[in-house]
Amino acid sequence: MSQYFAGVDIGSTMTKVVIMNQSVLASVIGPTGPEHRKLANRVMEEALEKAKLPFEEITYVVATGYGRINVPFADKQITEISCHAKGVAYLLPEARTVIDIGGQDSKGIKLKDGRAVDFVMNDKCAAGTGRFLEVAAEELGVKLEDMGKLSLEARNTVRISNTCTVFATQEVVGKLSEGAALPDIVAGLHEAIATRIYGMLRRLKIEREVALTGGGAKNIGLVRALEAKLGFAVLVPPEPLLTGAIGAALLGKDIVKEAEKKGTPLPRAERRLQEATLFT
Amino acid sequence: MPEKVALKGLAAADKYYQDYGLRARELKKQGKKVIGYLCAFTPAEIITAAGFIPFRIKGDVDEPITKADTEMETIICPLVRSCFDMALKGNYEFLDGLVVPHACDSICRTYDIWKYTLNLPYSHFINMPHGTDDASLGFYREVLDTFRTSLGKFAGKEISDQALAGAIKLHNQNRAKVKELYQLRKSSPPLISGEELTKVLIAAMSLPVEESIEMLGDVIAEVKGRGGLSARKQARIMVIGAQVDDIAFIKLIEDSGAWVVADDLCPGAREFLALVDVSADPLAGLAERYLRKVKCGRTYREMKGNYQEYLEDRFGHMGRMIDDFGVDGVVLYIYKYCDPYGFEVPQIKSYIEAKGTPVLYLEDEYSMSTIGRLRTRIQAFLELLGSK
Amino acid sequence: MTEEKKPEERKKRRTATEAASNIGPMVKTMIREVLEAKETKKPIAYSFICCCYDEIIRAMDIVPHWVENYAGICGAKRDAQRFLERAEAENFSRSLCTYALCGLGFDAWREELGEMPPESPWGGQVKPDVMLGSGQMLCDPRNKWFQAAQHYMPDVPVYDVGLPWPAYESDYDYRQVQDYYVKYIVKELKGLVKFLEKHTGKKMDWERLSELVALTDKTWDLIWETYELRRAVPSPMGTGDAMNTMVPIVFMMGTQQAYDFFQDLNKELKQKIANKEGEVPDEKYRLLWGGGLPAWFALSDFNYFNSKGAVFPVETTYRMIEATYNFDIDLSQISDPLEHIAWRWVKFWTYWHDRARKRPGSHPDVERLIKYIEDYKIDGIVMHEAFSCRSWHPGLIWQLNLLKKVYRDIPSLVLESDIVDISSYNEADTRTRIDAFIDTLEAVKR
Repeated sequence: MSQYFAGVDIGSTMTKVVIMNQSVLASVIGPTGPEHRKLANRVMEEALEKAKLPFEEITYVVATGYGRINVPFADKQITEISCHAKGVAYLLPEARTVIDIGGQDSKGIKLKDGRAVDFVMNDKCAAGTGRFLEVAAEELGVKLEDMGKLSLEARNTVRISNTCTVFATQEVVGKLSEGAALPDIVAGLHEAIATRIYGMLRRLKIEREVALTGGGAKNIGLVRALEAKLGFAVLVPPEPLLTGAIGAALLGKDIVKEAEKKGTPLPRAERRLQEATLFT
Repeated sequence: MPEKVALKGLAAADKYYQDYGLRARELKKQGKKVIGYLCAFTPAEIITAAGFIPFRIKGDVDEPITKADTEMETIICPLVRSCFDMALKGNYEFLDGLVVPHACDSICRTYDIWKYTLNLPYSHFINMPHGTDDASLGFYREVLDTFRTSLGKFAGKEISDQALAGAIKLHNQNRAKVKELYQLRKSSPPLISGEELTKVLIAAMSLPVEESIEMLGDVIAEVKGRGGLSARKQARIMVIGAQVDDIAFIKLIEDSGAWVVADDLCPGAREFLALVDVSADPLAGLAERYLRKVKCGRTYREMKGNYQEYLEDRFGHMGRMIDDFGVDGVVLYIYKYCDPYGFEVPQIKSYIEAKGTPVLYLEDEYSMSTIGRLRTRIQAFLELLGSK
Repeated sequence: MTEEKKPEERKKRRTATEAASNIGPMVKTMIREVLEAKETKKPIAYSFICCCYDEIIRAMDIVPHWVENYAGICGAKRDAQRFLERAEAENFSRSLCTYALCGLGFDAWREELGEMPPESPWGGQVKPDVMLGSGQMLCDPRNKWFQAAQHYMPDVPVYDVGLPWPAYESDYDYRQVQDYYVKYIVKELKGLVKFLEKHTGKKMDWERLSELVALTDKTWDLIWETYELRRAVPSPMGTGDAMNTMVPIVFMMGTQQAYDFFQDLNKELKQKIANKEGEVPDEKYRLLWGGGLPAWFALSDFNYFNSKGAVFPVETTYRMIEATYNFDIDLSQISDPLEHIAWRWVKFWTYWHDRARKRPGSHPDVERLIKYIEDYKIDGIVMHEAFSCRSWHPGLIWQLNLLKKVYRDIPSLVLESDIVDISSYNEADTRTRIDAFIDTLEAVKR
């Protein structure tokens, strides 16, 4: 009988699920949010449907991400640090450093032999996370998904000196009224985030190759701004949002294999697909 | 002895921790005088010798700082602000006096704010030097003598060398008990959890030294006599930082699946393990202990020998503790705005990592709302230790 | 890896006095002299301001590199962020003293490269031969910074001078303890001379030291007299300029140059007063800069105040002198130069104690504010809370509260930002606050 492993990554803005055996069988990405307490469940059900599997067929479920504690059907919770490390090691084995840029946090992970050996994390300040761009995009009346492309049109990048999101937003308004071009301001915002992330990352002593994951990796402007800081190109997995969920599924697989090897019983959660209760 | 809580050992510690100042309030009602102080650099021996109860002022991570901000800038160490906030909210209304040592800028530079705002019958600033050379030691002895005279005046009787020697003996006994308690952390699993131990040490800061000795003795007996903690294999963690006067952070680590078995904290190993030499001149013994034996970031230790030897002199005790207590990983826990420790982070981190022990450096703000945010980092650190 | 790009330089701030406008080139020369000293292998000491050793290093021909000054220059040029970020990458918290972070970030970078970081402001900060810190009393970074810098320069020795002063207490007078304070400081300074002789090969010239100590007394008196000229209405010079003329006070004490500078300024101010020439043509409000180090990247805020008719005839910041003849001892009778320095130090820091004792519930810091309010006919107080400095900035709110309690209500404004870290600064918000404050002053006047 073949074994199936699920990874559930509940991030602050997106919830991701993958189901794997030898490779990824199904994946689903949906938004997290106050209305999505039931989401882990629903997304999981959707993934099962895609994989044409009943929940009972899943051998092991690992939850990760900011909402990992609130996935009652998960067999184990593992932090996003370990899961991103695992995911990147699988997807981009040549990577030694991981930058994950999420909606509410960003992190840097140092890899050795496919495992995390050190990490840094920023989750207290919106500057340096997707949130910063989100706030600024709203202020500028630009769609968030257009920000990256727009920044590439910059001719004369505007320097944003404030790192506080509130201050920076005010600064952006000021620059606009001074007549700065929109792409130049947007490029400045990307540069500001890249500076914050790069500063944090340098605590790890960056080693090549560098992989970029999370929602931030889908923003071409941010990718370019970070590459400018680093001085070389970064690697981006085909679907950067799924990295953590893939890592989670793979770590679940490791746990099962380890238990089988040792012949120890596998501690499992109560096998019920029930509502995930976020923000309890 | 006047009546106390009927509880003993860990239960008493829990009670005194939960209701911090309980015993001081009782004793105050019975006519005793209580002298509050900030920071372990206040030589509590002198307060005891004067016949007063030394009481260490602490903050509360659960209580949002609201009142303090009208008098004290928010750029000051959040722990000091929390302590001041608690005082303004009436938690320490039983104090007869306040003693503030020159520990760090956040404490030294707010002395006047404390003094003028609380307006207690007695207040005194102990101008402790930073250096540890002979000139600094001599100066510090004079400073302590000024304090002795000043407090004696408030007490209405001179504080004699004999009274000082007696108080030193008691406080040394208290420290010896703590040392004994630390031995119970060495086994695997430890006999006492980090959370329990922290509670005991915090409770001790609020008690007359005789009662602290008694409580510690009871705790030791109780812990030795009870069944051990869960035998699960868990990482053994050491926490290094400035002042941690709340169990929240230690509990967070232990709830994440680890034992906190060692520390360089205050209250904790840093301040409790060094004894005062019993010498003919008790003040000289006190000066020597507080200036040279207690190794805190606020004190400037002069470099002797080469740089590596200098690091050994400053951090060697941390390395030895890692070995003695079988520590798997170190959490370096530093508050925002802490200049004495903030500037040491790269040195401490690289010193310990060079010895082969992983270090997790966390910056925090002394508030429950921020402590929770550290959970993922701690869990990831434990995962990383587990996969080694 | 590429580093943060250097931003465009700011335009020079407009000064009121000729003398203040000469400061920029003087500082540039000062930095150049350190770079030259490195070339010619003269001993260089990383130095802090207000550490009692000005005359000592001058008498021994040791070249000071003032680290706070260099960080301030990076800040003023709006080119400090890349060094702050570098310090952050080294695991230093961004909440620490930003002078120190800027300096440490620079040192870490320079030591890694083996040369100055690209486009270092004014040629850069050299690696020193010794570092002279200070324990007590000004701030913690004074005894932590150089210790931390040894992480990057383990071979550079540090000496930490113990420099306490007595606190203002209700249970005793500072005169009861001053002798042992002085005794200690003298021992520490002797230790410094020994340390410098050992590590630089230079010998102390005691006679020259005595001369420089006398020159410093004379300079202190001249500065005091010169600054007192600013009492004139309209005031000929404001705090914006004083943030320039602090340079000879804190970086050049014990030199003829500092004395000559204040002679020139003294003459210039007298001339302006004779011509009734104020800092602004139509002086409306006289303000006291009552505390806090300035935001070096935003000195033009002083011009903004000026544009509203507001002037600052006096400030507590960097007025690190008193007239020595106003002390309660005759300094000239103390012939031992080290003792002389120690007494001057203790007397400076206890100068306002006696006034405080006379007013129930008062405090020396508040007495100083009161004296300046009266002497300089002050309408309002402005302070600056720099987030990264826990030396000068704790207690500002409390001082204002106490002032109100023991003296009277006076309009006040507390600005918030930093000394070096521009990311804490919001120009629009700052100017809105200034506008509102000016409105208050106007309302009170009517």
